[in-house]
Amino acid sequence: MSGRAYPVNEPAAGVTTSAPAPLRSIRPVPIEASGLTKRFGPVTAVNDLGFTVRPGLVTGFLGPNGAGKSTTMRMLLGLETPTAGQALIGGRPYPEIRRPLREVGSLLDAGALHGGRTAWTHLLAIAQSNGIGRARVTQVLGQAGLEPVAGRRVQGFSLGMKQRLGIAAALLGDPPVLIFDEPAIGLDAEGIRWIRELFTHLAAEGRTVLVSSHLMGEMAQTADHLIIIGRGRLLADTSTGQFIAANAHHDVLVRSPRDAELTGVLTSAGAAVTAQPDGGLTVTGLDAPAIADLAAARGLPVYELTPRQASLEEAYLDLTADSTEYRAAP
Amino acid sequence: MNVIISEWTKLRATRSNVWTLVIAAIATVGVTAIVAHALGAARVAPPAGGPFTPLTASFLGYAEYAVLPVSILGVLAFTTEYSTGLIRTTFTCVPRRRVVLAAKAAVTGTAALVAGEVLAFITFFLTQAMLAADHRGVSLSHPGAVRAVLAAGLLLAVAALTGLGLGAIIRHPAGAIAATVGVIYLITALCLVLPAPWNTRIGRFTLPMAAFQVITGQPRADLLAPWLSLLVVLAWPAAILLAAAVLITRLDP
Repeated sequence: MSGRAYPVNEPAAGVTTSAPAPLRSIRPVPIEASGLTKRFGPVTAVNDLGFTVRPGLVTGFLGPNGAGKSTTMRMLLGLETPTAGQALIGGRPYPEIRRPLREVGSLLDAGALHGGRTAWTHLLAIAQSNGIGRARVTQVLGQAGLEPVAGRRVQGFSLGMKQRLGIAAALLGDPPVLIFDEPAIGLDAEGIRWIRELFTHLAAEGRTVLVSSHLMGEMAQTADHLIIIGRGRLLADTSTGQFIAANAHHDVLVRSPRDAELTGVLTSAGAAVTAQPDGGLTVTGLDAPAIADLAAARGLPVYELTPRQASLEEAYLDLTADSTEYRAAP
Repeated sequence: MNVIISEWTKLRATRSNVWTLVIAAIATVGVTAIVAHALGAARVAPPAGGPFTPLTASFLGYAEYAVLPVSILGVLAFTTEYSTGLIRTTFTCVPRRRVVLAAKAAVTGTAALVAGEVLAFITFFLTQAMLAADHRGVSLSHPGAVRAVLAAGLLLAVAALTGLGLGAIIRHPAGAIAATVGVIYLITALCLVLPAPWNTRIGRFTLPMAAFQVITGQPRADLLAPWLSLLVVLAWPAAILLAAAVLITRLDP
């Protein structure tokens, strides 16, 4: 995936959104799942899943296709009845929330639209069901950049426009909890930047933001916290920073015609050296300038000196390797 | 109330719904006028199943041209949401699913009832005016005329709710339309080929035969009395909606 370093604690400052941020405190509402299990006949889609999604953070919900992300989200929203366990939002099961759009905004499937309706009437029907006024419909259409197409029928919308419409619908009730299932699919570069900034902004306001994805790279840049599942089971529940620290290994690939001597020098300097089958040396514990200085001091020629960083994507693939449901034959 | 407003927005904002109603109305009025013209000129015999009565002549176009499209309108109220996935959005907006069912039934049923009554009065005055040329027309003050016109309008609400309930149960558009056609027409067709007296003994509980008894000014003796027939007409959608209310919370979308 992308070769850039993953920002860990990049401050939320500098994030701008076109919408005026309401300067008021958002009620903190956590999402809690415990022992959450869903079986469809012989298939266990979600297996004894427990986690807490905290307010004020963007939480990435990661897993390969078929890991149970969507099923979990549907259980959070009361659309599937759990076989066992429970999912609570602010301490209550979703179906018990009155006017739930004011508590939880969600986007599950951007394509779930009636093609004959306009963006405006689609949002209006959703707003009316929870007693939300027309002014708010106009407002979220503007926030999603859809004002120019508000009166157009949605059957002509691109997937990216449908995602924006879905996100607009989620924002309608100005809810303290937001749940998005794969919101980045179909968005162009500008759209992806928009949702990243939006999610960061929403979390900074104190909202609980849960975003699913099957791509680590996408999440590492947006999420503060990661919940990773595979085959319906919890694999990791960690801050993004910890996940990167634990999994993003650094090493330096060194080639020298006098590799045996160089190995001795580096080892005595405290590095761990592994000889590669092709004659290269993999060095950890010393960075490239230190290795170059040591080699120069001993007059050892160095032909190659390459700092390397294992990508988070690799770490994620390793973690989920045993739980991938569909994979190409080797 | 919010949910009803929301469902009304969905119904009115969907062009296909509006067109279905418009086309159903034009077809019904057109066909009824043609039949009335033919009857008025006494060029054809009255249809089988009963003696010619000026009252029923007003509603001969109803069975196919109004009831069928309106029942499909009811089917689509739920099945399009299931086939597009929009039902999940609807149920996250309103997690109490029976409230959604009730709101859709209220909106679709009321729209069909209003359209049905308007259509019934239009066809009544139109055909009676045409029959009047032959001195066979009746006015609204004719015994049973008001009841017949009101019942004919009600029939469209019954058709819409029957379709809506079956749509909520079956969820797939094609299957639900087939089931609706089966409930409204095919069961009757099967009854008609049964040997007498079973054809009417069972047939009197079908929607079309019961509806005939309610509308006609001259009810048949081998079918149920008009007021019992009215109960039969109302019992069909009521039973189907009840089944839908039970299943809607048990089966996840």
